[in-house]
Amino acid sequence: MVMAREILRIENLHVSVEGTPIIRGLSMTINQGEIHVIMGRNGAGKSTLANVVMGHPAYEITEGSIHYCSEPLEELSVFERARAGMFLSFQYPAVIPGVQVGTFLKKSVQSVSDEPLKGRAFRKQLNEAMASLEMEKSVLSRYVNDGFSGGEKKRLEMLQMLLLKPTLALLDETDSGLDIDALRIVAKGINQVAPDAGCLIITHYQRLLDHVKPHFVHVMIDGKIIKTGGADLALELEAKGYDWLEPTAGAEA
Amino acid sequence: MKYAKMAVPSRADHLWRYTPWPRIHPSSVELVPEATPTRWSVSEGGSLEDGAPRLISEEEIARIFLSELGRDAVTLTVDGTQPVVHIQAVASGHVSVGHLHIEAQHDVTVLIHLSGEADWCGLHMTGAIRSNTRVSVGFVNELSKNGKLLRCDDWTVERDATFEHASLSVGGFRCKNDLRTRFNGPGATFKQAISVHGKEQRHIDHHVEIHHDVGHTNSSLTIHAACDDASHSVSTGLLTIAQTSNHCDAGQVFKNLLLSEKARAEAIPELEVLADEVAAAHGAASSPVDLDQLHYLMSRGLAPDEATSLIVEGFMHDGFSSLSSPALIHEMRTRLTVHLECELKR
Repeated sequence: MVMAREILRIENLHVSVEGTPIIRGLSMTINQGEIHVIMGRNGAGKSTLANVVMGHPAYEITEGSIHYCSEPLEELSVFERARAGMFLSFQYPAVIPGVQVGTFLKKSVQSVSDEPLKGRAFRKQLNEAMASLEMEKSVLSRYVNDGFSGGEKKRLEMLQMLLLKPTLALLDETDSGLDIDALRIVAKGINQVAPDAGCLIITHYQRLLDHVKPHFVHVMIDGKIIKTGGADLALELEAKGYDWLEPTAGAEA
Repeated sequence: MKYAKMAVPSRADHLWRYTPWPRIHPSSVELVPEATPTRWSVSEGGSLEDGAPRLISEEEIARIFLSELGRDAVTLTVDGTQPVVHIQAVASGHVSVGHLHIEAQHDVTVLIHLSGEADWCGLHMTGAIRSNTRVSVGFVNELSKNGKLLRCDDWTVERDATFEHASLSVGGFRCKNDLRTRFNGPGATFKQAISVHGKEQRHIDHHVEIHHDVGHTNSSLTIHAACDDASHSVSTGLLTIAQTSNHCDAGQVFKNLLLSEKARAEAIPELEVLADEVAAAHGAASSPVDLDQLHYLMSRGLAPDEATSLIVEGFMHDGFSSLSSPALIHEMRTRLTVHLECELKR
């Protein structure tokens, strides 16, 4: 039996922001080809997890470790993580006035590539990815996320993911605020990347999971994973909410 | 009034507060030194003829000084055969001076490129944007990095004309720009956009006056200054709307991007609105590089210096976003990109 390649291993992770503990002892492992979903209430620490894995400087790891492809991550800065194959789809992507999407995409792909970018090959790849996400060419001359609707921003995040071909894809509420068609298109992007990567999807809603089939669903409460299950767990959460999973729920009952 | 009889302007004067006259004068303030005429050349679609109307304010020291420094002047006329006309202005010698007048009877985009090794360059640009024309003028200052520039502009915009004026300031050590535009016909629109790149010890001063002397006129002014090292950008605006100039719409936005702890930037919009039925607004902001933007670009693989360069380029490109002439926007952005790429290679 061939073991799946380990992409991400988090062990007993504790994270603070400005001295306030947010993640309090979280462990998980993501292997290649696996889709993991994290669900939980607002403030549970889900986005913190995605940001700390990507290396956001505002977050401090106070205990525990993160390994990416079996190597410790702590010493790598954000751009080095990106070049190593990590990708974060932001919940609120930054607006960058004056920087055209086409220029930005080209520079990004060039940055993570080991070889000089070939114009024709890049254009072909770009055209295919845009067609797959049903995006208009005119978006390339617009400024990055400037004046974009919520759906357009998320599609642009997916476009970047397809072009950058990550080994680890972290998707922070990529489905939030999307209409049904946009949700379907975003899911299509995730499904294209997923077979070759490890995916960690943070979401509040089960509806994305109608299009993306997760291998594991984790529930995060108070900075910890308190329950892990399969796709059915998301349906159960949709029906019952989170109260029944509170550590004190059994005692009160 | 002769220059010799004029008093050195006080620093209490809004115009001379940040770049006092003695600091921009080429030698001792009492002197009018010998000057070499600026060399002009023009591309197809335009012609340069000797002579230009004298449009000198009797009160304004810089303009009087420039007129006494050199009597040589040229007038550009465009024949309407080319959408874009390029003018090269080369400043050489210890002191260089030139006066360019533009008479535009046709819709056209004029790109003026200033370069040269002059220690000091004085430039007076004037023009009349005739009724019902659409004229765009771009000015790129790429003087050598040790040169001083004194630039005065005087434009009039006539009835139903559309005038767009863009400036890219990337050259010279100390630059004083005094740019004035006056509406003298209703239905006219004027858009001015300026991008500044401050490096090393550069001191760049833009004073922009827009005078709505007639009603039903629209103007916008945007200045984006990115300041690095120990550079200093000053942007002062004076927007006036006369008492009888109702139904004007005017706005000024000044933005500064500070890239080092020693970089400084001043942004001082000033409005004198005497009419009642107008829309007039102004805003100013100075900030360092946005950390969210930086983090976002780095999360896509760009190293910190690459990410910062891209943000600066975007910020300066965005300075021209308020313009609507595609040719002008394209030309200014191309010049900017070339400049920034050259800077990166240094």
